[in-house]
Amino acid sequence: MKCEEFEAIGLDAERDASLSEAERAAAREHVNSCSRCAALQDSWLAARMELRSLADATSQHQAPARVEMRLRQEFWTQHHTVKTRRAAVIAGWALAAAAVAVGAVSWSNWRAGLHPGDTSNPVNLTASGGGAKQSAQDQNLGANSETLLADNELGDFTLLPGVLASDTDDAAIMSVRMQRSALGALGLPVSEENAGDWIQVDLLVGNDGLPQAVRLPQEN
Amino acid sequence: MRIAEPERDDVLLRRAARGDEESFTLLYRRHQAAMYRFALRMTGNNWAAEEIVQDVFMTLMRQPKKYDAARGTIGAFLYGIARNRVLKHLERLPREVALEEKNEDGTGSGIVLMDSATPATWAEKRERVEQIRAAVLELPAEFREAVVLCELEEMSYEEAAAMAGCPIGTIRSRLHRGRALLLAKLEMLRDVPRRASAVR
Repeated sequence: MKCEEFEAIGLDAERDASLSEAERAAAREHVNSCSRCAALQDSWLAARMELRSLADATSQHQAPARVEMRLRQEFWTQHHTVKTRRAAVIAGWALAAAAVAVGAVSWSNWRAGLHPGDTSNPVNLTASGGGAKQSAQDQNLGANSETLLADNELGDFTLLPGVLASDTDDAAIMSVRMQRSALGALGLPVSEENAGDWIQVDLLVGNDGLPQAVRLPQEN
Repeated sequence: MRIAEPERDDVLLRRAARGDEESFTLLYRRHQAAMYRFALRMTGNNWAAEEIVQDVFMTLMRQPKKYDAARGTIGAFLYGIARNRVLKHLERLPREVALEEKNEDGTGSGIVLMDSATPATWAEKRERVEQIRAAVLELPAEFREAVVLCELEEMSYEEAAAMAGCPIGTIRSRLHRGRALLLAKLEMLRDVPRRASAVR
């Protein structure tokens, strides 16, 4: 081994695991025969001792506690923000779903309102907001609805006293359960015998809220 | 801490990525000292070392998926980030060598000499350690890195090469040149007091 080689690999030969045993032996042999390299090795060993003292002197060093504090704060902020954002997204979707559900239920109720089946209530509104003419158009379009229209059914209705047929243009049909005696208040004749009977009648109610015509139930 | 100490680093990292603060804290406590010492020995600056450690763990916190277990341990991954930050710092301040860093409490660089028998020995030894520290800090960055990793961190050549991302031969050559420069500087520093006393 030459001096240059010794300087490059021989100084640390005992520690360098990548060297072969033969190279280590050559380094040992060289340092025993070369005083210059032996002196160099001594200097390096002394320097290494000093480096060790520096390493020992700084071996207990660690980052100040404030670094950990800052990092934990940052960690909390980062993950809390992500969680909040995720919760907001979920809440948003939940609200949208709820809105759709409410819309669907409302629509379903509205549709069900167009098909009255339950007449047990004392007063049962069967149609509202649809004018007689509009209802007639609906029927012409084939809608199978009981919102039968004034024009179509006006023949079944009995105009109340003082009401003209033209007044029923925008009227709506209301199905009402009432005592027969109440027909008297509408100007219709009532038999005393069955004045106390409850009957189901259809009223044609104008825009002003006043009844225009009445349809009595079919007597069996 | 409710997490058992022998919990593996990658398990802790996975938990931390899911928002487990305790796992992150444990991971930090395991590795912060080594990162800090490496940064301090490379920069010679407490504040820079602190900032580098913070950056390293901030990166781990924000981009945990950057770590690939197939490429090495989390320690090596963290060293890699720290090394990049250190080199950036040294590029920004190429000639900054702090001989006497003050801590927050004004107590100097924090070098602790535990076994000095008398105050005079203590002072002499402390001065010598400061000289060595200055000599190491004056080495060019790549030689300094080799010296810090192999001599101060006591890594093997293979470990140092993996850390620096270069072949073992490169580490050996950097160490050789670093050593030569260091020996020259230390020799010079040894001679200065001798000459000064000879003049007196």
